Amino acid sequence: MKNLIPLLLSTAALVACEPSTGTSSENESGTEKGAAFQSTYSPQAPTNVLLRNATLIDGVSSEIQTGDLLVSDGKIGFVGSGEIPEGVTELDLDGRFVTPGIIDIHSHLGNYPSPSVQAHSDGNEVTSPITSEVYAEHGVWPQDPGFDEALQGGVTTLHVLPGSANLFGGRGVTLRNVPSRTVQGMKFPGAPYTLKMACGENPKRVYGNKGGPGSRMGNVAGYRKNWIKAQGYKAKRDKGGDYDRDLQLETLADVLDGKILIQMHCYRADEMVQILDLAKEFDYKVTTFHHAVEAYKIGDYLAENDTCAAMWADWGAFKMESFDYINENIPFVHAAGACAMIHSDDQNNIQRLNQEVAKTWADGNRAGLDIPKADAWKWLSTNPAKALGILEETGTLEAGKRADIVIWDGDPFSTYGRPATVMVDGVVLFDRETGLKPKSDFRLGYADLTEGPK
Amino acid sequence: MKKLLLISAALAFSSSANAQTIFVDDATVVAPNGAQSKADVIVVDGVIQRRGARLAAPDGADVVTGGWVTPGLFASMSSLGMSDIGSSGPGNDVSSESSETNVSEYAVDSFNPRSVHIANVRQNGITHAVIAPRSGSNSIFAGTGAIISLSGGFDSVLDPEAFVMVDLGETGTRRAGGSRAAAMSQFRSAIEDAEGFARRYSEAPDGGDVLTRQDAKAFTRAVRGEIPLLIRVNRAADMMRLIDIKKDNPSMSMIFVGAAEAWEVADDIAAADIRVIIDPLKNLPDSFESAGSRLDNVIFLENAGVDYAISNLGALGVTKPATLAQHAGAAVVEGLSWGQAFDAISSIPSQWFKVRGRSVVVWDGDPLEVTSAPIAMSIDGTPQSMTSRQKALRDRYNPSTTDERPYKYR
Repeated sequence: MKNLIPLLLSTAALVACEPSTGTSSENESGTEKGAAFQSTYSPQAPTNVLLRNATLIDGVSSEIQTGDLLVSDGKIGFVGSGEIPEGVTELDLDGRFVTPGIIDIHSHLGNYPSPSVQAHSDGNEVTSPITSEVYAEHGVWPQDPGFDEALQGGVTTLHVLPGSANLFGGRGVTLRNVPSRTVQGMKFPGAPYTLKMACGENPKRVYGNKGGPGSRMGNVAGYRKNWIKAQGYKAKRDKGGDYDRDLQLETLADVLDGKILIQMHCYRADEMVQILDLAKEFDYKVTTFHHAVEAYKIGDYLAENDTCAAMWADWGAFKMESFDYINENIPFVHAAGACAMIHSDDQNNIQRLNQEVAKTWADGNRAGLDIPKADAWKWLSTNPAKALGILEETGTLEAGKRADIVIWDGDPFSTYGRPATVMVDGVVLFDRETGLKPKSDFRLGYADLTEGPK
Repeated sequence: MKKLLLISAALAFSSSANAQTIFVDDATVVAPNGAQSKADVIVVDGVIQRRGARLAAPDGADVVTGGWVTPGLFASMSSLGMSDIGSSGPGNDVSSESSETNVSEYAVDSFNPRSVHIANVRQNGITHAVIAPRSGSNSIFAGTGAIISLSGGFDSVLDPEAFVMVDLGETGTRRAGGSRAAAMSQFRSAIEDAEGFARRYSEAPDGGDVLTRQDAKAFTRAVRGEIPLLIRVNRAADMMRLIDIKKDNPSMSMIFVGAAEAWEVADDIAAADIRVIIDPLKNLPDSFESAGSRLDNVIFLENAGVDYAISNLGALGVTKPATLAQHAGAAVVEGLSWGQAFDAISSIPSQWFKVRGRSVVVWDGDPLEVTSAPIAMSIDGTPQSMTSRQKALRDRYNPSTTDERPYKYR
């Protein structure tokens, strides 16, 4: 890193600008009046910087380009070339890769934090198969050291979901990966809520001896019974006037109103197609299948229904419904014309999602596909942004979007390439060269030890 | 005529899978000691036929540029062939939750060389592996582990009695009844049971303090240092206690597995002549005993002169070794040389576990790169199939296929 000046400036800005406490009148969360737990996130003072001579993967084009990128007031000013404001600091990247910040659509950081003691197990309300009334954010511990490590892996936005024990698991929350004392200070302003649902082995295993469901038949019956209830609730709510508020049905009715996006844990190909039929019966949309280990068998159905799949590169065989895993799942779904993406579901792999994509991309091309790197990048940011309803704001390098940016010290499609600098909303939150990085309260004391000399 | 055409297409496919000659033009050749050199290499069915400075490509050979030719990788921790799926049940023999025995449980008895996961994992260039049980019931002793080759043959067990596996730390604590003191008491007592085997068990089969007769007997070789003890341990303080036990029993050979906080006591580990298997990607404080985890743990070990191997301990269960090379690559990013990292997943554990013979892997690029893959392999001169259940599924559902038959007929 030749020119350190802008990065050091941003460090100073970090110190100078404490996060807003949430009393701000210009809260941009866009949630309904009276809604609880609103986002209090507002970006710290951003860096204005012109990144010169970058190798740009923008998440839109199928080609890697070279050029400049302007970061201005927390937004992307231009990509490639454009009007340069007077006096802006310039940083010559000497051809280094610049990409959008990575978005992980399936994380349990905060609700299954490190250290993983029983007292920290807040990600799954395993008390009933129907818990659409719970919110993942109420189980998120902002001091999970995993957030800090994920940031160093280039993750600027992540979606935290409840676990998969239940048919209706609860609401997921989209977070900015920013240092904060509260989860409200991390919530992505205006991002839609999601509803976690689960197929297959988990619900029937967990509830088989606790009143059911005890089979895949029971799973589907459980979904249908509750969608019928939700239709009734919605009809009452639509009519206006007095009605008893029911948190469980409120979430489901919001799905039927199109306000909440369905994120559904589902492994088997045949089961995913059953769920697409279920969604037609009750007139809602499945936004994304998660894990989707057999999605490669039904890429055509996914494309036809405009349903995304969030997948691993090479995980499987840990249970029967993941037995048919292949390393080419993501590129095969992509080649079928469906919306494919990587996800981690893991505190370790979230730190290296670029490598996970590199593996599956290379395997897909080895199997006879011809997917350009720049298209494969979309599995890391563009498609997860789409599936979370935040593509208007982030996920690509386009003028006017949030400046969520990773500068790499090598090729992101390599074992040896790592993020050098990570910006969220134009604020440098991680910089390898200067040692700038967030440190969880939990790391203190331990962290002092772990930073000793070799 | 349509049917006939399909049959001939299938025949063409199967014959191309046989007698594969590869000309690796200007290959990077890696010696068993990790040293790199350049040569043209002719490989027939995964076996090196010729290497030289300027060879001509044989007629009909597949020409590979940018290829690498290396020894096979050695996975120094796995449970390959011991389970079909990770979730518990009849397909999973990795641990026995309610058995009466422990050290005398041999991983090799649970090992199925025909497990589909062996061929799946072999596609990652891995030719040999440690297979180890996990502790169950109320003993810190998981059992006795083996060394296998990944040929998938019934002769693939190279050493059925290669080491004794011990779980200490938080897992061992739970097994032993709830405290580290209980786990260490069990460990020390078991050593005494095995050392005094002839005396203690001569009159009564239950003459030992903690081990039954068959387990004490199975433990004697490890106590005499004829085979190593592999000990899962992460906290620096736990490792220091084990170093003390090693001082009292200098003939014992110990290998720490995990060793998240080894960097803190690297000099003591080196001085005690204890070897270490670590995961260079372990950096989260995901338990209190690994609160000191850091990515450059391996660099401390290297600088202190510790004899170490690299494993991908943090990867998922059944097919764990698959991502071994990726984890070794992480150590290069932290500052190991390429050769040091490669040795730690090949020659070093091979020597530890006395695996001789020559395995060859031809790669389409740097084996530590996530985008590289093997294109041919052999183990001790025997060609290895480059197909697997995963690849069969891949081929059946490949969107670039021209095969239009219904899926179940492909």
